[in-house]
Amino acid sequence: MKSREQEYREIFMAEALEYYDAMSRHISELERNPGDEPALNELFRLMHNLKSNARAMGYNPIGEVAHHMETIFGLIRDKEKTFTGSVVPVLFGGIDTIGEMIRAVGENEDLPEVRRLLDNLDRLVKGEEPNLEDEEEDDDEDVSRKLELSDLVYIQVRKLDHLMNLVGELIIDRDRILTLSKEIGSQALTTAAAHLSRIADELQYSVMDARLVGVGSLFSKFPRVVRDVATAEQKDVELTMTGEDIQIDRNILQIITDALLHLVRNAIGHGLETPAERVAAGKPAQGHLLLSAQAERDDVLVRVQDDGRGINVESVRRKAVERGLVSAAAAAGLPDDAVRAFLFEPGFSMAKEVTEISGRGVGLDVVKLAIDSLGGQLRVSSVLGEGTTFTLVLPTSIAVKGALLFELENRNYAIPLMHTDSVVSLLPEDFHVVGGLLLTRIQDENVPVVALRRLLHNGDGPLPPAVKADLSGRQDIIIVNYNNRRLGLIVDRFLRQQDIVVKPMSKPLDTIDLFGGVTLLGSGQVCLVLDVPALTRLFLAKRP
Amino acid sequence: MKNRILIVDDSFYMRTMLKNMLTDAGYEVVGEAANGQQALEMATATRPDLITLDVILPDNTGLDVLKGIRQEQPEVKVVMCSAVGQEVIVNEALESGATAYIVKPFSEEKVLEIVGAALQDASSDQA
Repeated sequence: MKSREQEYREIFMAEALEYYDAMSRHISELERNPGDEPALNELFRLMHNLKSNARAMGYNPIGEVAHHMETIFGLIRDKEKTFTGSVVPVLFGGIDTIGEMIRAVGENEDLPEVRRLLDNLDRLVKGEEPNLEDEEEDDDEDVSRKLELSDLVYIQVRKLDHLMNLVGELIIDRDRILTLSKEIGSQALTTAAAHLSRIADELQYSVMDARLVGVGSLFSKFPRVVRDVATAEQKDVELTMTGEDIQIDRNILQIITDALLHLVRNAIGHGLETPAERVAAGKPAQGHLLLSAQAERDDVLVRVQDDGRGINVESVRRKAVERGLVSAAAAAGLPDDAVRAFLFEPGFSMAKEVTEISGRGVGLDVVKLAIDSLGGQLRVSSVLGEGTTFTLVLPTSIAVKGALLFELENRNYAIPLMHTDSVVSLLPEDFHVVGGLLLTRIQDENVPVVALRRLLHNGDGPLPPAVKADLSGRQDIIIVNYNNRRLGLIVDRFLRQQDIVVKPMSKPLDTIDLFGGVTLLGSGQVCLVLDVPALTRLFLAKRP
Repeated sequence: MKNRILIVDDSFYMRTMLKNMLTDAGYEVVGEAANGQQALEMATATRPDLITLDVILPDNTGLDVLKGIRQEQPEVKVVMCSAVGQEVIVNEALESGATAYIVKPFSEEKVLEIVGAALQDASSDQA
């Protein structure tokens, strides 16, 4: 049982962080339009609530700062002051400080900037100039701060996680009972099983639905980030956001937070040019950044799009060769899309120099890993001189995935549909062997093909050269796609397409990274879920 | 019969705290409203004996809500919740028919004392 004190504390924290987010948003609105009365009223109201709540909790330093901030917003609202000049940085800084104080509640609340802030607020009330000299030093820290999502949607996410796990178990049992009822052939049992199945489906849908939040709850943090990064990089950026209402699992949003932050910083730091460069290139001085979300079947597409200088494919191609990622001859023949995919290779950074904003040790490879861990995809498209678009293809929900089931050596395996391009059945004459590699033509592209059996059981050495004579009869092949690379996997037999509940592997199997998890089938059989990114990497490392 | 109370406050934290205090003291909290429109709707729907009303609300000000409620339900007791520095609004509220006011941050004893006294008024009026 939670104590009431603890409950109050959690509610206070959740609400205070919400207020902080909303205040960050409204103050950016106010900066764009200093006459924005609704924004000003909201700032006043939220600051007022924060003050009251903090005082009720006995968090007096927060109450004190909020009180002084409220006073200034009150003066602006009553037209006794204007939101201009030195008032602007003091209030922006004040909201940041409040955010830090909320997160540090119960710890050492005596932050040095608090005293300076209170002093400056005091000066503003008296009509004196605030003391801003140290602001510059703090900028680095402000810009690199972490974004955090609230852990409470008035219900703790872990409770929803637990619920989701239970539903996962239920779905597995449901499939089992459905299978049994078919085997036994009793009419009454079949009817009951069908009913159970419908209820379980509905329950699963409801629990998944309860976990969904609007993408806007993450997007809403970006106006402030964009402003800060643009200021530090001396860029002029206009941010547009669309699709804030698109729903996605809260944990997915949490996992992509850093990735999105990185992409946005990158876009401003490297993608967009300075106003002078833009004018010289015949573009409007103000750069444009679009953050959008869009639902597409079961996926959510999140895009970060800039109208900056674009990616120079030739320079990526050159660098990939320099780094030894590809031979010069092979690089010359690669299509542009495949070349851009090198940007996601570990340690491949295109920035000539490491700037303050983007050079924080996180490369696009880390973004890629985060998206991979969700079973999503990261794509990039770019036109030199016109801009770059990064697209995150994300599942709406983590727990249940569409998968293709197949059989290999009398065992069942699953492969997520997210990474499956197509399935084909080919005769031996449809293949040719080049340099020990089995190839087939799919939609005018040569796609390497490998027997999955070989890939899984080959041990440490490289794969033996492919021999066409090994193939007899029709071959069932799954074409998977990862990072714009297609690969054909020969399996024994396709089974069916099915929604599966992926469970993490238990120890010590969790060290085998070729499998993303396990799932239980209706028959009670355990079925391994293949990790396509890991398989693709293994193939590239071992190809003959 | 338990006295029935409607809580109007835009902060979830504040509502939770008030609700706990009042429920523990044996009152029935019939509803919680987070903005002016909800407050007016819920006041009509629940017909409470007493309303705790926050002075600052997102859509209307608390004063507008007070006037709206007063028109429809002259008998309901309204306790304004305000903070230090809002004396002007509180005075106007009292003139517009608020029964009493509490100043935030408030203690449990203070809340119960003021709510109890306001309801006492109600029973003596009716007597």
